[in-house]
Amino acid sequence: MLAVALCLGGCAAPVFTSVAMSQPGDDALDCTALHQQIADNTAAGAAAARADKRTENGNVAKTVGSAIPYVGLLVAATTDLSNQDQVKARALADRNERLAYLAKQKGCTP
Amino acid sequence: MHTVRTRFEQAVKLSALAVLLGGLAACASAADPTAMALTAPAATEKPFPVPLQHAMCVRTVAGGEETNPLWASKVGDAGFKTALTTSLTSANLEAAAETDCHYPIDVNLLGLSQPAMGFDMTVTAHVNYKVYDSAGQPFLLETLDTPYTAKFGDALVGVQRLKLANEGSIRESITAFFAKLRDTTPK
Repeated sequence: MLAVALCLGGCAAPVFTSVAMSQPGDDALDCTALHQQIADNTAAGAAAARADKRTENGNVAKTVGSAIPYVGLLVAATTDLSNQDQVKARALADRNERLAYLAKQKGCTP
Repeated sequence: MHTVRTRFEQAVKLSALAVLLGGLAACASAADPTAMALTAPAATEKPFPVPLQHAMCVRTVAGGEETNPLWASKVGDAGFKTALTTSLTSANLEAAAETDCHYPIDVNLLGLSQPAMGFDMTVTAHVNYKVYDSAGQPFLLETLDTPYTAKFGDALVGVQRLKLANEGSIRESITAFFAKLRDTTPK
């Protein structure tokens, strides 16, 4: 019961900040820097999307595990609803949209 | 002595179980658009730039999730759109007709960070707001992370508390977005 009480008091989602679409200094980026950032974000976004899928699958398994008598609640408490990787993947996609817009404005060749 | 102790232990266990069941045994419901919307701004608040007044509309909302009653409460696209449109109307920003909308808004709900369970529940809304001008150029691009905590006393049932935290985080998000709009200088 103590474990459950501790868990109920401490199952908060991790705190994190989203990647901002528009960032200071964006206007000063040249074509090389823009293309490099877009490539880096694409790779990081794909990795985050894969991690998000793994978390989702893990949550499904934990939901099933939560039916186990006595320990089920503890299993359910480890469910990850932070959506950290989903937020990261979506934020990077929007960030790339912004960078692509700037690249077009600057007449950068793809 | 032994009997008294046993009864006390049973009472503690039953009480704890009742609290747990109260927190767990209920169906989740989607966030209420009315609870996510802002009411009319106070007269003391900084006014919105004149060009934005009666010239905005919500064009798209993406990224929301429908609520599974057997799982956790979520925020759907339609609910978010209704809440933001209602808030724009309350603030005299909503365009009367589609043709009057010179500053369309696209919203991408990146996600809600929710706790698995807890006494006090903090949910953080991660939202991208994209406002365009009438020429289709980006006018304001804001990424906002807004937490809101629903206290144990706000709702005894866990799923209800999570719903309140969801609604509060979206309300905070719209509040922060409006604060950014107030600081803009549209042409």
